[in-house]
Amino acid sequence: MVAMALAEAPRLGLNADVLAQLRTIVGSDWVLTRPDELRTYECDGLTGWRAVPLAVVLPSTTSEVAAVVRVCHRQGIPFVARGSGTGLSGGALPLTDGIVIGLSRMRSVLRVDLENERVVVQPGVTNLEVTRVVEASGYFYAPDPSSQRVCSIGGNVAENSGGAHCLKYGFTTNHVLAATFVTTDGEVAQLGSSALDSPGYDLLGVVIGSEGTLGIVTEVTVRIVPQPERVQTLLAAFPSTDAAGRAVAAIIAAGIVPAAMEMMDRATIEAVEIAMHAGYPDCGAALLVELDGPAPECESLFTRVDALCRDAGASEVRVAQDEAERARLWKGRRGAFSAMGRVSPDYYVQDGVVPRSRLAEVLAKIRGLEERHSLRVANVFHAGDGNLHPLILYDRRAPDGPARAKALAEDILGLCLDAGGSLTGEHGVGRDKVCQMPRLFSAADQEVMHRVRAAFDPSGLANPGKLLPTPRLCGEHPGIYRPHPLERSGAAERL
Amino acid sequence: MEMAGEVPTRPGAPGDAVSGLIPDLVVTPGSAQEVSAVLRASSQRGWSVVVRGGGTKLTWGAPPRHCEIVLETGRLDQLVEHEPGDLICVAGAGMTLGRLQSLVAGAAGYRQRLMLDPPQGDGATLGGLVATRAAGPLRARYGTMRDQLLGAQFVLADGTIARTGGKVVKNVAGYDIDKLLVGSLGTLAVLVEVAVRLHPVADSSRTVLLEPLSPSEAGSFCAALRRAPAVPSLVEVLWPERAVLVRIESSPEGAERQAERVVALHPRARVLDEPEARLWEQRVEGRPWGGSGPVVGISVPLSAISALLELAEREAASGALLELSVRGTIGVGEARLVADPQAVSRTREGVEKLGGQMELHRSGAEVGRLGSASQDPVARRLMKAVKTALDPGDILAPGRWDWEA
Repeated sequence: MVAMALAEAPRLGLNADVLAQLRTIVGSDWVLTRPDELRTYECDGLTGWRAVPLAVVLPSTTSEVAAVVRVCHRQGIPFVARGSGTGLSGGALPLTDGIVIGLSRMRSVLRVDLENERVVVQPGVTNLEVTRVVEASGYFYAPDPSSQRVCSIGGNVAENSGGAHCLKYGFTTNHVLAATFVTTDGEVAQLGSSALDSPGYDLLGVVIGSEGTLGIVTEVTVRIVPQPERVQTLLAAFPSTDAAGRAVAAIIAAGIVPAAMEMMDRATIEAVEIAMHAGYPDCGAALLVELDGPAPECESLFTRVDALCRDAGASEVRVAQDEAERARLWKGRRGAFSAMGRVSPDYYVQDGVVPRSRLAEVLAKIRGLEERHSLRVANVFHAGDGNLHPLILYDRRAPDGPARAKALAEDILGLCLDAGGSLTGEHGVGRDKVCQMPRLFSAADQEVMHRVRAAFDPSGLANPGKLLPTPRLCGEHPGIYRPHPLERSGAAERL
Repeated sequence: MEMAGEVPTRPGAPGDAVSGLIPDLVVTPGSAQEVSAVLRASSQRGWSVVVRGGGTKLTWGAPPRHCEIVLETGRLDQLVEHEPGDLICVAGAGMTLGRLQSLVAGAAGYRQRLMLDPPQGDGATLGGLVATRAAGPLRARYGTMRDQLLGAQFVLADGTIARTGGKVVKNVAGYDIDKLLVGSLGTLAVLVEVAVRLHPVADSSRTVLLEPLSPSEAGSFCAALRRAPAVPSLVEVLWPERAVLVRIESSPEGAERQAERVVALHPRARVLDEPEARLWEQRVEGRPWGGSGPVVGISVPLSAISALLELAEREAASGALLELSVRGTIGVGEARLVADPQAVSRTREGVEKLGGQMELHRSGAEVGRLGSASQDPVARRLMKAVKTALDPGDILAPGRWDWEA
């Protein structure tokens, strides 16, 4: 009953002096402390993890962010930076003994420089907004995570977001050139530069994908790229994922790098048909292939892709004739996650990576796991880069429902790692997978990461408990009540 | 000096000198464990270690202050894995680029390549290409090692053997330590093994030449090229030749028709026949490293390419600038200058005035140090903290970065 005693201890609250300091910095309207207000921030896109923070602070400028961080630094208050809260690994999960620094008010596009192919934005600007401000001029911002309508550039930097088109275009790290960065002691640094090759270590390279554990970016300079002259999309129907996998291998062997190559298995196709009538063919696996580039190149390669799909056993190949048809072909793929809500009470999205050449083998083993765990798995994934998104269908009201789903999800991750892949291709480690890190990284590998962390954040206040495992997170059980360090220092008290 | 274990060791000779410093020992470890033993021993004794791969870019960055040990990576040259279907390759950091290219070129009916063509590339090692971030004309389309590196095994100064990244293209697990290693000039860790991304080799290519051009014509041509429906793999602006060379690599039809589009951008642009194309490619290769004099890396904003070429005209007229090559679609290049500190600092000031940066890749000692870590004091403090965290005794190429600049 030790855990009960802890749970019943009154909630921590920031003391009046600290709150006054925060209110002076951002204005009293932008420091949230009422429980109903705080609950909005209790989780990100991974809703299974929830925690109510001490306060949510919403700064509007770099200097406000820096001043808020200085208060945290002085008082020893942990902080979690948050963009739109769409992350799927609990990276923006608040800390019950910390504050959330929300960057949603910082949503201005600061500069559009077409001549230099750069756009400078505040971190709260959405991913799609960057493309919107330049598309009329013939440019776009290449990283396109499926949440691009709402997810923020600051969050994309934290997670090194990719998207369906990253096989050809790369990730956030390939498109961000510079950032204004608030250090964990509240100083402001310029990392990188708008021109390439800024001198010294590539700090920006390690900040991108660091999940808010090294500091906070408050201005981001991104590269925009000219829109391709031609985009061609086809959907090929195969009897099985094996056959579709052969088509993927043949396309790669032919030296073709598609802009996107997405596969859906039968369970996914059935779900999207029920949920949104995408009009997909009734088949064992559907492969969506998109090529883009100069018309002469795109057209000649597209003909070959079509032929390679048929050679691999495609029963039908649908070619989008216009933008509306292209949108229709993508509709089922984009809606695949939400479609699962129609065929299963609950689902958990796994995010693992396998070497492309091991796809067929891993998919077959996942089918074996389905039987062993008596749960269904729908597979939808980025076939071009081996990034799997198995959707584990379960019912949380069934006996051990969530636990069984979690066990299956972890087994699938084990398959990915055994095949030489990775723990996460795009959703990040966050809180969700922090205790899985030792499955991929040795103690020495993690030690290097801890040292880098300590170089940026010696007091460990920036998003602690995410990305890097600690014994307290992953081994020890909660103990008896001891005064929180913030209580001892007087920065917070039990309410 | 005694070195731990069975690591092959010999006394340093004048030919081993790094920026004039003759090492006491040259060691040639053949495994991560041996690298670890060398670094542990060096750390304990406070010996400075400079890593040498192919020895083609030891002059990059500021000269090290000390060099007791030269650690050669030549024995770390095994092919660990080449999976053509995954377009990846894992190899020892001491493998040369030339050898890697020949191993992956035609395996299993695939035609693939590591898309890097740095100066003196055949003899450069993979580890050296990570440490220097050296690249060549192909950077215009494929970037540098920063864009190709998927993972690495490395050893810290205290002997810790660790890995970062993996061997898959898509991977966001843990910190991207790879990025810190790229361009770190051997100051953070010794690379043992690297995993890189490969790209397919296109079936066909066409080369277009445009000459002679004024600086502003060349700048406008590059701007037009960036917007044109063509994806060149090479766009080299060559000064004082006043020429732009463009190469398209694609399917036969794709190459042909994209080349036509490039030609249509300027009345004097023309497609070269095969022998002439070969001739120009040879001229581009290894430029501007051929002659003597300091070589500097230059980057400028895209809008400043014309202005950079004007600067090149002025400095060439005064005899200070000997050669310049610029990747015209990304604003990055190299220049060879005369060995005159004033010429170097004047060029640097000019480049910085354009919003760009300049770093020293080869100097005469008379040119002085040019390895400032960063202009931003807070960023510089963070860089120093990273260096101290990974190499607290400052034994790995001490002085390569000028922290006080």
